[in-house]
Formats: sequence, structure tokens, C-alpha cells
Amino acid sequence: MIKKAAEKFYLALIFILLYAPILTLIVLSFNASRTRAKWGGATLHWYQELFKNEAIMSALYSTLLIALLSALIATFIGTAAAIGIQSMKRKFRTFYMGLTNIPMMNAEIVMGISLMLLFIAFRINLGFSTILIAHITFNIPYVILSVMPRLKQTNRHTYEAALDLGASPLYAFFKVIFPDILPGVLSGFMLAFTMSLDDFVITHFTKGPGIDTLSTKIYSEVRKGIKPEMYALSTLLFISVLLLLLLINFSPKDSSQKARKQTITRRSRALAFAFKRVIPTLLVLAVTAGGIYYSFQGQKRSKQKVIVYNWGEYLDPEVITMFEEETGIDVIYEEFETNEIMYPKVQSGAIAYDVVCPSDYMIQKMLDNGLLAEINFDNVPNLKNIGQRYMDKSREFDPENKYSVPYCWGTVGILYNKTMVDEPIDSWSILWDDKYRDNILMQDSVRDAFGVTLKYLGYSLNSTDLDELTEAMNLLIVQKPLVQAYVIDQVRDKMIGNEAAIGVIYSGEAIYTQNENPDLEYVIPKEGSNIWIDSWVIPKNAEHKENAEAFINFLCRPDIALMNFDYITYSTPNTAARELIEDEDIRNSKIAFPDDSELEHCETFHYLGDEADAVYMDLWNKVKSK
Amino acid sequence: MSNKLIDLVNISKSYDGQLVLDELNLYIRENEFLTLLGPSGCGKTTTLRIIGGFETPNSGKVIFNGEDITHLPPNKRQINTVFQKYALFTHMSIAENIAFGLKIKGKSKQYISDKIKYALKLVNLDGFENRSPASLSGGQQQRIAIARAIVNEPKVLLLDEPLGALDLKLRQDMQYELIRLKNELGITFIYVTHDQEEALTMSDTIVVMNQGYIQQIGTPEDIYNEPENAFVADFIGDSNIIPGLMLEDKIVQIQGVSFPCVDIGFGHNRPVDVVIRPEDVELVSPETGTICGTVTHLIFKGVHYEMEVMAAGREWLVHSTHMFPVGTEVGIHVDPFNIQIMNKPESEDEEATVIEE
Repeated sequence: MIKKAAEKFYLALIFILLYAPILTLIVLSFNASRTRAKWGGATLHWYQELFKNEAIMSALYSTLLIALLSALIATFIGTAAAIGIQSMKRKFRTFYMGLTNIPMMNAEIVMGISLMLLFIAFRINLGFSTILIAHITFNIPYVILSVMPRLKQTNRHTYEAALDLGASPLYAFFKVIFPDILPGVLSGFMLAFTMSLDDFVITHFTKGPGIDTLSTKIYSEVRKGIKPEMYALSTLLFISVLLLLLLINFSPKDSSQKARKQTITRRSRALAFAFKRVIPTLLVLAVTAGGIYYSFQGQKRSKQKVIVYNWGEYLDPEVITMFEEETGIDVIYEEFETNEIMYPKVQSGAIAYDVVCPSDYMIQKMLDNGLLAEINFDNVPNLKNIGQRYMDKSREFDPENKYSVPYCWGTVGILYNKTMVDEPIDSWSILWDDKYRDNILMQDSVRDAFGVTLKYLGYSLNSTDLDELTEAMNLLIVQKPLVQAYVIDQVRDKMIGNEAAIGVIYSGEAIYTQNENPDLEYVIPKEGSNIWIDSWVIPKNAEHKENAEAFINFLCRPDIALMNFDYITYSTPNTAARELIEDEDIRNSKIAFPDDSELEHCETFHYLGDEADAVYMDLWNKVKSK
Repeated sequence: MSNKLIDLVNISKSYDGQLVLDELNLYIRENEFLTLLGPSGCGKTTTLRIIGGFETPNSGKVIFNGEDITHLPPNKRQINTVFQKYALFTHMSIAENIAFGLKIKGKSKQYISDKIKYALKLVNLDGFENRSPASLSGGQQQRIAIARAIVNEPKVLLLDEPLGALDLKLRQDMQYELIRLKNELGITFIYVTHDQEEALTMSDTIVVMNQGYIQQIGTPEDIYNEPENAFVADFIGDSNIIPGLMLEDKIVQIQGVSFPCVDIGFGHNRPVDVVIRPEDVELVSPETGTICGTVTHLIFKGVHYEMEVMAAGREWLVHSTHMFPVGTEVGIHVDPFNIQIMNKPESEDEEATVIEE
């Protein structure tokens, strides 16, 4: 009795452990409250939002199209390959089966990177086609693997019997062999479809700008801060993969068993009909429709375009629509999360971005490495709207103001919740106060974390002195137990949701968070901080430089700059736009537009050279791994 | 019998350097029931597959009705095959299986349905049209395979050990069925088997093969009664193969005793092999026998008793309807007509010589 109960308990435990995460996700996708901590009643709101979100719907379509096409093509190639391998002599057969299995056993990341390198080497532009090719490549082994056993079971004599009865080899194959291996082919197809549907790593490396599959979309959205729509989307993805797996496991076996029993019944005939005619027809229809849709899209794209690489949530989508309508130039828009993620992508040249928005020190680094093109300011007359003090500040990283146009700027400071912090804050020291253990949010980026610490210690945040840096590192290690989380964009949501008392944050986020949660206060500590400028630059390998300049010029238009300011709430260097701000409180906000006096001790980050970068990374890794 | 329908000329075939057929020559007449008989690996199936078009010989020609069809693919030959493992199309009904070849030939619906009915009747499976092959017994499947082949009205029907997987009783029934079919349809049957009894029962002509060579071609009676060498004698039925000395025409010395026989032309004092079928060994009283011996083994086999008799240092296999208990002293007598004399092979190689007709 007890043994039985224990067995059941153990089984239940295993299943709970296996499915608890997914259940949590599914439950949260129906949670009316935005924060994860609270249950606000059941709702389908997030599902509605999801289906209204055009970017996600387009990602869904790309995902399905890629899954379908890659599965179809892989099924075709894989089946042909399986037949070829099967008819080989034994020793060759084993050898080739081993060869085809390697891509399956290989680490996905190796496969992803090698495919990317291959595409770059052959100068194939990363995009829809490269994802498709990559997916076909990794799908083929799965098809071979599921067709092969069926083929082995097939009686070779049935093929010969068909030939004997007058059938041509092709006719014999389709009439006799193919129906026999069909269940294997179908399950190979569905396996390939599923693999393609949920692949992330390989897609991530082989995708180009402006195209996302669901998994890469979810990834980039999650990096920005988890929205409940993503729970809904993940739930749907999970359920569709589950359904597919059920189909793979049950349908073909079922039908073949039925055929073996007694006479061929009307029902099994209907089933056979479904497999032979209906499903292929539907597939062909879907692909054709998709093909037409995509070629239509492609035509639209083939006109004029500009490939933009920007921070996540750093541009009002409406602005893009307006730009496209006014200029007829299509915007292919891609987002990055940190300067460090952006840099290698631009440097590798895998994708020829036309206009990128890095931060000050990164612009200096790109300049030092010869990655940037001079901007032709004749094409950017709206530059006049940018305040002179920002152009002057920019000289720290772009000495002749030749390569960059300021887009946003701000400071790094402390955001704190007045209800959770008693004393007024004016120093970085609060970040090391044991009172706020587990209530502190730190930026998850090297320079920000070290910058804050160096400033607190009274050093320059561009220090390359190893003693100073080691001191900062030790201090960061001391701080680590107090820190609730190292995050980037999530500081905003967590602070709004009262999940932490103190967070290191960019000034631009402060205005937005204050609107959402009036208990929050932003301060630039007295030791000084980082003042940063994000500017538009044009990489040297840009293929649409004039379009990029048109895009920059458009963004410098006062009304457009104002739209962006309203949307992203980061300080704009566009003085003409600032004049247009209707709300006096904001126009004169100390957070958005601090006085020169407040900025006295603030510095921009400098590019410190690869060696110093390495030292920073090394120390930061030590902090993170402690 | 009439003219040659199929003529195999100097056919050689090897797989991976292993010679399977060596310079094989054979012709098949119209309306003949010809059986290729031999142990596994003797090349009989390869010969059949070359006729069917599933293998191409390395050298030599296949002539069909005067035409060279060596390189014609199987679907272009007026030949149909019944495969060893039936090879029915499992995802099709019986009717669809039978209609397969006819549909390819573009026959009318009416013609096809008539043919299906006719063929099913011929193989005694009326009303099986809508069954699935998997629901049939082995014998029924085999008959469907035959029906599927014969509706195409081939000139030649190839059968590759079609009864190998059936049990004894069913096999015997099917043997009669095949003979009946052959007589009704008037087409040439080329039949492959390793079962000598099957070959003897059904064939007009038997071709005994071993190691890629034809050992003997002849009627079942010829093959059984007058095997041309030890291999054939040993392979076809049980036999006593005893070394002997041909003293002169019509007298052979076995174990020092002279036996009268009917063979001539072997010369004088030539060593030969003597073949005596066990049922041809008569056991008589010791006084009347040519040589004497003692019964050492006795088994009841149903139709007859099988005995072993030790005579002059040699065991003789004897089949007889009379029983002699173990230990009985007996005399051995053989009718001169039942003694078959064969040349002794002079070397190992010659054991499998090509026998030209």
C-alpha cells in the first residue's frame, strides 16, 4: 500500500516538476494584472492584444511559412536521400547515415554560426531565404531518420513486382513504394515542421533585419521586458507544438494498423483519401498563397529601403509609418539591447545596416575601427534644430561632428520609491546600504555598473587604472548580496510594480515611470554620474546611404522629434522640439532637461580601447560569477 | 514440343567478383514447364532474375522470340513473375492488385473487371475482390500473386520458389493447382525451387544447377533414373553412391563382387561411381543375394521402412515395404536395369562440369 502510494507520489512529483513552468506560463497568460505577482482575475485581453499586434502576427506568418516550406523541401530532399542511401551497399550506407546524423548531434550554436559564416562568405544577404536554407539543412536529417526505418521494412520485391507488371520506375515508386513509406514521410514532415517551428538558435544567427520568427521575436521582446502578450504567445506556441507531436505519434501508426485489419473499410479509405489528396492539396494551397503574399511583400520591399538598427523601444512606430508614406522608402527595422550586442553585428558585415544608433563611447570605438561613413549634411538640413550644446558634447567622441547626429541624451541616476525609502537620497552610497538588501536593481552592463561604482569612489568613470578598477570590482562584489537583480530594461517595470525600492536607471525611463507610479523619484547623485548621448551614425558598408540621411533628417524634424520624445520619454537634443512641448512641467522638467550645474560632475563614457575593454569584461565576469 | 521461346546464350554473372553464373547456356521451349532446381546459391534465382530483367548479365545474351532483350527493362518484357514473398501491394485491395498491370496497359474498365473475376475464379478465390492482402492466408496470397501475374497474359510466367513459405499440405494442393493452370492457360512456366519433389511432380523439364553450372537437363524420369553425376544423384532423392570398377561392358564390380548391369562404353577396368536408389535394393535371403549383410538400423517411414544394411564394410540405404528387424542377416540383390554407372570425376573441379547438350 505504502509502496504504491509512494510510487504514485513520485510520479506526480516528476510530472509537477516537468509541467509546473508551462502551467505557470499558461495561467499567467490569462491574468488580468500586468505584474506577475498579483492575480487580477481571468481575461483574454492578452490574446486579443496579441492578435492585434502586427509585428507578432507577421512573425507568426514568417514562422509558419518557413516551417511549412522548409519541412516540405526537407521532406522531399530527405526522402530522396533516404531512398538513395537505402540502395547503397551496406558499408557505404552506414557511412552516409553517420554523415547525415552529424548535423543533428552537432550543437545548434555551432550549426548556426557556421551557417552564418557560410552565408557571409558567399555574400548571401541574411534574410528570409537564409533562414529557410538553414531550416531545410537542419530538417533533412530528421526526415531521413524517420523515412529510413519505413524504407527498410518495405519489401524490395513489391517494387520489382510493379516493374514486372509494366510500371515505369517512377510510376512504380509513387504507386507502390511511396504509399508504403508515406507514414514515415508524413511523420518526417511533421517532425521537421515542429523542429523548424521552435528553433531559436539557428534562426537567430541566420536571420536578417526586418524578419523575425516567433522565437526570435519572443526573445527580443523579452529582452525589453516581459509583456503578458508573450505569455499568451508562448502558450499558443506550446499548444501547437503539443498538437503536432500528438499528430506525429498517433495518426500514421493508427492508419497503418487499420489497413492491416480485415477488409479495407470505407473509413480507412476516407483516411487514405485524406492523406493522399486533402492534406497535400491544403499544403500546396497554403504555400501558394504564402508565396503570392511574400512576392507581393517582396515587390513592396524591392523599391527603396533603409535598414535601421536601433535600441529596443526607441522609436515611435508611427514615425516609421509616416516616414514610409512621405518618402516611399521602406524601413526595415531591427532592434538591439546593448551597444556590445550591436557592435559585432555591424562589424561582421553580415548585414549591411544603413543607419545605427549607438551610444557615445561606442561611436568612438566604431570610428577608431573605421566602421563609420561621413554623413553628408547637405542631406540633413534639419540638423539646425539640434542644440549647439549637444553638438559640442558630441565632440568628445566625434571630434569634428562629421559622423553622428544626436538623437537622445540623458543621465544615469537613482530611481527610488518614496514609500519604501525613508531618507532623501543624494549619493550612490545608498546602493551599498544593507537596509535595502534585496531591494536594489543594478544595470546589467559593464560600463554602467563600473561607472556608478567608480563615481561613488570619486574616480573618473573612464578610469583605466587597474587599482581603481579592482577597488570598484571589490565594491561591486560586496554589493552583490544586496542586489535583487541585474537587469536592463526591466528596471522600469519592476520599479513601477513596486518590486524594488531602488534602481539604477536612465533619466529617460524616469519620466515614464513617474507617470505610471507617482511614488517614484529620480536623482542624479552628488558624486556625479554618466551623461550619455545616443546618436545616429551610418556604417561604412551601408547600401542605402542617401536613404539613411533622409531618415536622420526626418527624425530631426521638430514635430517628429516631439513624437519620439512623447513615446520614449528620453531627453531630446532637439531644441525646436522642446519648444513644442505643451506640458510646461515636462518642458521645464529637471529630469528631462537638467541644468548645466547638475551636470558638472557628469562625464560621457569614452571608448577605452580593446585592452581596457577586456580588463573591464574580465572584472565584470568576476563580479557576476562570484 | 515446338520452337525455342527463350534462349540464354553464354550468360555470365558475378557479384563483387564472386562468379554466380559461368557461361550458362539454356533454352526454353514454348508451352514448357521448366524447373530450375538446385541448392541455395546455385544461381537458379539469378538465372530467373536475368530472364525477368531484374539483373543484367555481365556477358552473354537473352533472346526472346528471336529478339535480343538482354538490356530491356522488366516493364517492357512480355514476362510476368510470381515472387517468393508474394510481393502483393498491401495498401491496395485484391481487385486493385490484380488490376495493376491492366490499368497501366490502359484496358477498359469492363475488360479489367471481367479479367479480375476470371482470374479470381481461376485461382479459386471468387468474391475476394475487396479484401485486403493482409487479411489473406499465405496460400491465398500466393494465389492472388499468381492471378495478378496471369491476367496480363504473359508469354512466360516466372515463379521464384512460390510455394516455399507454405506448409506441406498446402504446397501439394498448390502444385496440382499450378499444373492445372499451366494446362488451361497454355503459357510457358519457368519455375525455381530447391525442393526436388516439387520439381519432379510438376515439370516437363528439370534443369539441375550447382555452383553456377548446369549439371543435367532432362525430364523428371531422366533426372531421377539416370543422374549424370554424383551431385545430381545425391541431390535428387536418396541414393547409394558407391565406388566401383567397370570390369567390362555390362559388368561392374562393387566391393569385390560383380554385379550385372546394362551400361556399356565405359571401357575396361575403369573406376566408376555406381548409383543405386534405395528402393531398388532388394533384400532377399542371404543365400540368394549377390552380397550379404546385416540390418543395423530400422525406421518406419509410413509408406515404407528405411533400413541400413552393413555389407562388406559399407552401409547400404534400403527402402522396402517388408520389414527386417535389426540384426537380421540378409542378402542384397539389385536388378541390372536399376544400376546406374557414372564416370568418376578426375578432379575436384570436375565435380561441377558444364554439361553441353
